[in-house]
Amino acid sequence: MPLDLLLLIYLSAAANGLLIGAISLPLIISRSILFALTMTHSILGGAILGVYLNEVLGISLPVPVTAFLMALILSILVAELSERIFSEDVSIALAVALATTITVVFSYLLAKASSTGLSLAWVYVAGTSAVATLGDLQRTLTGLVITAPLMHLISGEIKYIAFDRDGAEAMGINTRLYRYLFFALGSLTASILSMSIGVLATHVLLAIPGAIAVRFFRRRLFAASYLSATSLSLGGYALAQVMNIPPSGGIGILSAIAVIGMVVARES
Amino acid sequence: MGEVELRNVSYSFGDRVALEDVSFELDSPFFCAVMGPNGAGKSTLLKLMLGLLKPQKGMISIMGYDVPREANRVRRLIGYIPQVINIDHRIPMSIEEVVAMAALSRNLPPRIVTGEVRRRVREALELVGLDDPSAQFSELSGGQRQRVLIARALVGEPRMLLLDEPYSMLDFDMKCEIADLLYRLHRDRGIDIFLVAHELSPCIHLEPTVILLNKRVYAIGRAGEVLTLENLRRAYPGLTEIPAGFILGEDHG
Repeated sequence: MPLDLLLLIYLSAAANGLLIGAISLPLIISRSILFALTMTHSILGGAILGVYLNEVLGISLPVPVTAFLMALILSILVAELSERIFSEDVSIALAVALATTITVVFSYLLAKASSTGLSLAWVYVAGTSAVATLGDLQRTLTGLVITAPLMHLISGEIKYIAFDRDGAEAMGINTRLYRYLFFALGSLTASILSMSIGVLATHVLLAIPGAIAVRFFRRRLFAASYLSATSLSLGGYALAQVMNIPPSGGIGILSAIAVIGMVVARES
Repeated sequence: MGEVELRNVSYSFGDRVALEDVSFELDSPFFCAVMGPNGAGKSTLLKLMLGLLKPQKGMISIMGYDVPREANRVRRLIGYIPQVINIDHRIPMSIEEVVAMAALSRNLPPRIVTGEVRRRVREALELVGLDDPSAQFSELSGGQRQRVLIARALVGEPRMLLLDEPYSMLDFDMKCEIADLLYRLHRDRGIDIFLVAHELSPCIHLEPTVILLNKRVYAIGRAGEVLTLENLRRAYPGLTEIPAGFILGEDHG
């Protein structure tokens, strides 16, 4: 493989890792990881809807935009439902059911109408091939520049709201604004990552670096989250090349090893 | 007009009435305990007073401010202590983080803990008898957690504390310690205390003003005047006599 392409792949992997590190820790410490479940399911539904709009209806709306919007809308739906009507887990289950319905219905319609549509949509399940493009790197870096500073700015408030929402509101903290901003950043991150490493690996990776940071470190949790996310991402890409599988597969294998490692460390 | 005034306040969650035509008035200084059974609307009353909920009918005024319209001003004068049970202890938070947020909440992000904020946190912790700001909230006992939440309320130098079930999940000695701490804050620092509880045991010797509430106010006045069998029967349907430990709490039952 040419050196410049190899460099591009590993720069993309490192950028993916940093992007994940920025969002994973707040997701874990605010106990919002189930929201990531909503986001990843929504991204899949949104991506397939986007491909359907492009391929069948000829509406040229970028697929990452429909994926991002779907994730954002369903995350906000979960927040509103859990605030007004249902418990959080029921609200998440409803949103996931809705996202899955959209995925199934539009997959079926896409399969009927277009011979190539489903394979385009599949990119969002498994990720692109191990070959990264300059566009991938630019997209990830853009997401990183937006997400990382804002997450550092609001992560304390996000944690506090999860700790004591009534108390935070009584202090005058606008809990709804912070939560929506958090969901928007989470949806943006997940939709960018899903294009390169797929929805499944994104879901796994969103949880693990933050969990490692909280489990093994008492200070500098963000640094630990960035480091573990970047290590998993770079290691996953390397493993994928060695095994000749998609990057999501390599990341998935390394993540599984990390989870087993955490369980063993906890037991011992 | 009193320091706290509610006039004909009603609030419902959908079809379920939480409060109906609630009126009372308190003049400062006061140490007031609202007593009522589960589901009596006690926590709803506190949230209405804080402006976290808006009354569907009626008027709430605190320190001359119309609460629904001027909730932010009112919250600067009030320290709120929620039920410990509503706090997620699994979130990793140090005592300093918990208390400092109250000192920083009026700033815009990033809310950085400066030396001045650390000093205020230490002072608030000293007032409630705690000394290690680096300890994790999750590792504290129930009584210590309650003290941290009181310190958090005090760091904003409030004129009034609103407390939601401050004695829940505590053993009797701890309940008395918290009650005495509140009374000291009231006596020494002139802070008005307004708490809701389903038992009065720990603070009854402090002779609070008692409001008997079950969706509506059944009585208000000194404990001895309010806690009669006749009044309690109205607020607690099905009660035939005052059981031992009812007012003094389960621990004395």
